[in-house]
Amino acid sequence: MFSTTTKTGVTAAWRISLGSTIVFALGTTIAFLLLHHYVAQEIQRRSDAWLTGEVSVLTDVAEKTPRGALYDRIVDEIAELATKEVPVGRGPVGDPTRAVFFLETDADNTLKLWVGPGDGDIFLRAIQHSHFTPEAPVNLPIAQFPVPYRVVQYLADDGSRIYLGMSERNDRQVLGRLRTWFLVIFIAIVLLGFAITFVSSRRLLRRVQGITETAAAIDEDNLQSRVPANSGNDEVAQLAATMNRMLDRIARAVSQLHTMSDSLAHDLRSPLTAVRGKLETALMADNQEQSEENVASAIEELDRLSNLLTTSLDVAEAKAGALRMHRTRFSLNALIQSMTELYEPSLMEHRITLHIEEDSEIFLDADAGLFHRMLANLLDNAIRHLPPDTTIWIALQQDQDHVRLRIRDNGPGYPPEVQSRLFEKHAKGAASQGHGLGLAFVHAVVTAHGGEVVGCNRETGGTQLTLQLPTRATRTADSYSLAG
Amino acid sequence: MRILVVEDDTTNREFLRRSLEENSYHPVLADSAAQAELAIQSVEIDGAIIDLMLPDGDGLSLIQRLKAGGLNAPVLILSAKRSVDERVLGLETGGDDYLTKPYAITELLARLRNLMRRTETQPPETKTVLQVKDLKMDLLRREATRGDQVLDLTTREFALLEFLCRNAGRMVTRSMILDQVWGMRIEPETNVVDVHIYRLRNKMERRGERPLLRTIRGMGYVLNDN
Repeated sequence: MFSTTTKTGVTAAWRISLGSTIVFALGTTIAFLLLHHYVAQEIQRRSDAWLTGEVSVLTDVAEKTPRGALYDRIVDEIAELATKEVPVGRGPVGDPTRAVFFLETDADNTLKLWVGPGDGDIFLRAIQHSHFTPEAPVNLPIAQFPVPYRVVQYLADDGSRIYLGMSERNDRQVLGRLRTWFLVIFIAIVLLGFAITFVSSRRLLRRVQGITETAAAIDEDNLQSRVPANSGNDEVAQLAATMNRMLDRIARAVSQLHTMSDSLAHDLRSPLTAVRGKLETALMADNQEQSEENVASAIEELDRLSNLLTTSLDVAEAKAGALRMHRTRFSLNALIQSMTELYEPSLMEHRITLHIEEDSEIFLDADAGLFHRMLANLLDNAIRHLPPDTTIWIALQQDQDHVRLRIRDNGPGYPPEVQSRLFEKHAKGAASQGHGLGLAFVHAVVTAHGGEVVGCNRETGGTQLTLQLPTRATRTADSYSLAG
Repeated sequence: MRILVVEDDTTNREFLRRSLEENSYHPVLADSAAQAELAIQSVEIDGAIIDLMLPDGDGLSLIQRLKAGGLNAPVLILSAKRSVDERVLGLETGGDDYLTKPYAITELLARLRNLMRRTETQPPETKTVLQVKDLKMDLLRREATRGDQVLDLTTREFALLEFLCRNAGRMVTRSMILDQVWGMRIEPETNVVDVHIYRLRNKMERRGERPLLRTIRGMGYVLNDN
């Protein structure tokens, strides 16, 4: 599997480098072509300017020099001088490498004067075969010369025609050198660019591949693998960090799920065993009455089990920050009042006195159903754990946007073995008959509402539980309850 | 009366069928939303019991579709989900009452009876005097008497007795009492309801006579009217 991913990494790097190299090469070539075109034009423009300038000088000289024996020599000299202005090909007259020629014809097109490479007749024939506009340079291919000449014609007043030509050899050489240099540099840059892109993209893709391998290694049993942390803060490092954070969250959620199902299984086993035992006894019972008694007892046990399941799930959900709530605005005093009314006869039976200390009516934005169950849990706890002739005080106090609910008693206090972990599930004293969810549920409800709860033994004996709750739903409390 | 039962679990469906038949209802059974929609086209129903978790979609959308299709019969929602907002959502969607699994069949029948009574065309119960044997309750004067003896009841005890009288001859569970008399959906782990019943008994029962208010172990209470 890893070999395929390696291959994928290489081909991806190959593709990226090839693509970018092609784009780069194309762009560079287009830019070079434009530059080449401009340089060629510029060279020709300069040649043309030289040619037209020079031909007018030569014509001037030719016109002003009187015809005679000296005429040929003077014009020849001047033409010779002119050709020497051209840097390349300054050979003597008749040298085939000479780049410039000067040619004069009569009005009847017979060669009058020739300064240039080789035989003037070849040039004259070429000139006679092409069409000239005075003072406009044209390209003139000459037999036996591989490179054409750039030629300009000038009409003298006496009808004679003067031609000045310059081989394009020089221009072509310059452009040729330009092309050669470009090609060398172009190939070098393209190869180097390709290599750099390939190496760097492969390095980048190797890091991505590391993330892929980590993801591939993640399964139910192994949530602990993490992407190796890369130095730097580039996109891949950010991807790795994000991936690691996501894995952390998943690992946390899965472990919560494990804890939840473990504790549920733990919570359910003993009551289920009890129900089964009772039903078995009912089945084997000798008389109807005993059988009915056991079935009824099994049903009661099932009710407790169902209640336990609900509470246990609520506690687990609240711990995972996912307890669903239905908030309404209600009077906490009225809620406590109806709760005490329900529990008072039971409390009296156990000779427990209940005192409510309140000064003003307090309204809360909260889930009334959860509050009912929370208070029922606390009062059930009291009935189960407080000895006769004890007192419970419930004090209600509002402090700006918070309400403090303090529940005290003068009983024996929390047993020492649970004091440090009052709000944990299954925290219960050795003598307790309960399932140890009461205070865990209280804690779950209070934190889900964005509040806090503290419990301790009082110095004067008995327990004290202080619940602090925001009177209005706060943003943080809501996001807590909606998280997950 | 025909009651549509939409429940995918065979055991629960059969149990509901038997219980409904024993109480002189005619159950129309369906194990999926599709079957329920099919059934409702061929027969007119007077009420429905719908489980929220169905194999082909959730019960809430089924209720919405049925109500949109012109169903007027009351709907009792059954759900394994227990959270409060599920309940509220169920009632907002068009359910008329809500019961969480596991439920006592007595409670289901009582709630169904209430729903059927609510939609009957007769005017709502205008009785101002309730009577079970020699126990009389004058609801206007808030006075309860046993024979010629006036019972000294607290407001809550009066409400409790009224609830028992209205359901005379039928069993009521503790959670029904908590819901109807105290308006709370809680499951206390101690016998708070029993203590209230015990106090009420002390005030209304006569020594040496067969008790009027009977306890059915593991289930609830029944006020005898025969």
